[in-house]
Amino acid sequence: MFSEPKILGFCCNWCCYGGADTAGTARMQYPPNVRVLRVMCSGRINPAMVLKAFKEGADGVFVGGCHMGDCHYDAGNYKWNRRAKLIEDLLPEFGIPKKRFRFEWISASEGEKFQKTMEEFTDTIKSLGPLHRSFPKMSNKSPMC
Amino acid sequence: MESQFLLAKAKDDELAVRGECGGAVSALFKYLLDQDLVDGVLTLTRGEDIYDGIPTLVEDSEDIISTCGSLHCAPTMFGDLISKHLSDMRLAVSVKPCDAMAIKELEKRHQINENLIYKVGLNCGGSLMPITAQKMIEVFYDVDPSEVVKEEIDKGKFIIELADGTHKSIEIDELEEKGFGRRINCQRCELKIPRNADLASGNWGAEPGWTFIEVITEKGKKLLDGAKKGGYIEVKTPSEKAIIIRGKIENAMIKLAQKYQEKYLEENYPNIENWDEYWNHCIKCYACRDACSLCYCKECDLEKEFYNDEDGVVPDPLTFQGVRMSHVYFSCINCGQCEDVCPMEIPLAVIFHRMQKKYRDKTGFIPGVSEELPPLFSPEKE
Repeated sequence: MFSEPKILGFCCNWCCYGGADTAGTARMQYPPNVRVLRVMCSGRINPAMVLKAFKEGADGVFVGGCHMGDCHYDAGNYKWNRRAKLIEDLLPEFGIPKKRFRFEWISASEGEKFQKTMEEFTDTIKSLGPLHRSFPKMSNKSPMC
Repeated sequence: MESQFLLAKAKDDELAVRGECGGAVSALFKYLLDQDLVDGVLTLTRGEDIYDGIPTLVEDSEDIISTCGSLHCAPTMFGDLISKHLSDMRLAVSVKPCDAMAIKELEKRHQINENLIYKVGLNCGGSLMPITAQKMIEVFYDVDPSEVVKEEIDKGKFIIELADGTHKSIEIDELEEKGFGRRINCQRCELKIPRNADLASGNWGAEPGWTFIEVITEKGKKLLDGAKKGGYIEVKTPSEKAIIIRGKIENAMIKLAQKYQEKYLEENYPNIENWDEYWNHCIKCYACRDACSLCYCKECDLEKEFYNDEDGVVPDPLTFQGVRMSHVYFSCINCGQCEDVCPMEIPLAVIFHRMQKKYRDKTGFIPGVSEELPPLFSPEKE
């Protein structure tokens, strides 16, 4: 049996995090598997952070930013978009299916979209099962439990 | 600028005899030093034997003669030498296509000032690892490698010359089929004529005793005109036929490279299990990073505490090579240095090259050739 998957969610302060908040205040239920980590902008996230999340035992990584044109810092999400595509190419080279990584544009008012995205993504990860990396070593003092 | 072809050779007799193809490149360097247009010339000189090339800074034009001759068995790179140690000097440098690519990428990153350097390109069909070359000469040529006094690659053959003047040659294709010959990354390389330098010179299409030069930039043209006026080189126009022959050689080599790309990056590409085995060998010596032509950061992410594992364990490939890849792979010029220096023989250039090709297909960015930085660094909203 697959115990509950661990998903790390990087959410940008101005949009996606607000979207999660909206979902919360409106009591829209979404899977508790996602551990939300607030960042100031999706443009702050670099591929190494996603790689580190997988290394530390995440089964899936989600990144949420503002819709194109809405970035609080003007072009941060455009930069992230280019980086995200790079990550999609990079992960399979290390035996991690592309599907375990997802990014989405969610505004602060889109609580429903946040809820739906989390449900979908959790289902995807559940259907994929836990991430067994063939690389044997895994940190025993995992910060994600 | 419209490209221009010409044949050149050194007027100085000694340079003409000792240099490759009439010594035109050596003569250009001599001209630059004599006229004080540069402070130094960075080029390879022969070390102990033909398998040993030492990057040397020549500051006296009398010493140029010692740099003459080809060294195919000493794969070195000049890019990081310039950016780390010679960035404030007016330099002329002899560059293989991959050197020119590295220099161009470093120029874009403000590590090298392009106004300070003359890049005299050398056409390159590929280089050999010194160890491979020695083994190959022993096994296939039946010659003691230490007795070889000169080597040359011409018309698809690797030719060696012995002390008594005898030549022996074998088709490179034949050697490569048996796992010898050029370095694997060179076999995959598509840039044979360095059109990212100021001049591109070589023997393809040239008459014996002459160097075929393609003028690429205004700077290169000025250099040639100056050297001609100063009486350092003799110049003539190549025949139509010579230009066609050169084009044919280039095309044939590019086609072959594409075939090898198919072979090494697709058909024979290691699978995930193979890669895990490779990564398991990693001793985290950082040699790949140190040798990388593109890495220049003073503070390297790989040494940051949060990416590090406990001491004494194999580093997790995700946060070691993965992080390194995420920093540079899109700009990888396939120079093969990471693979050459890896003490555990991890085929790093293969994964970097394959990933770069994917990025190139998506974005059209060709490292070392495109004028801009990779689109990843763009501030544009696109």
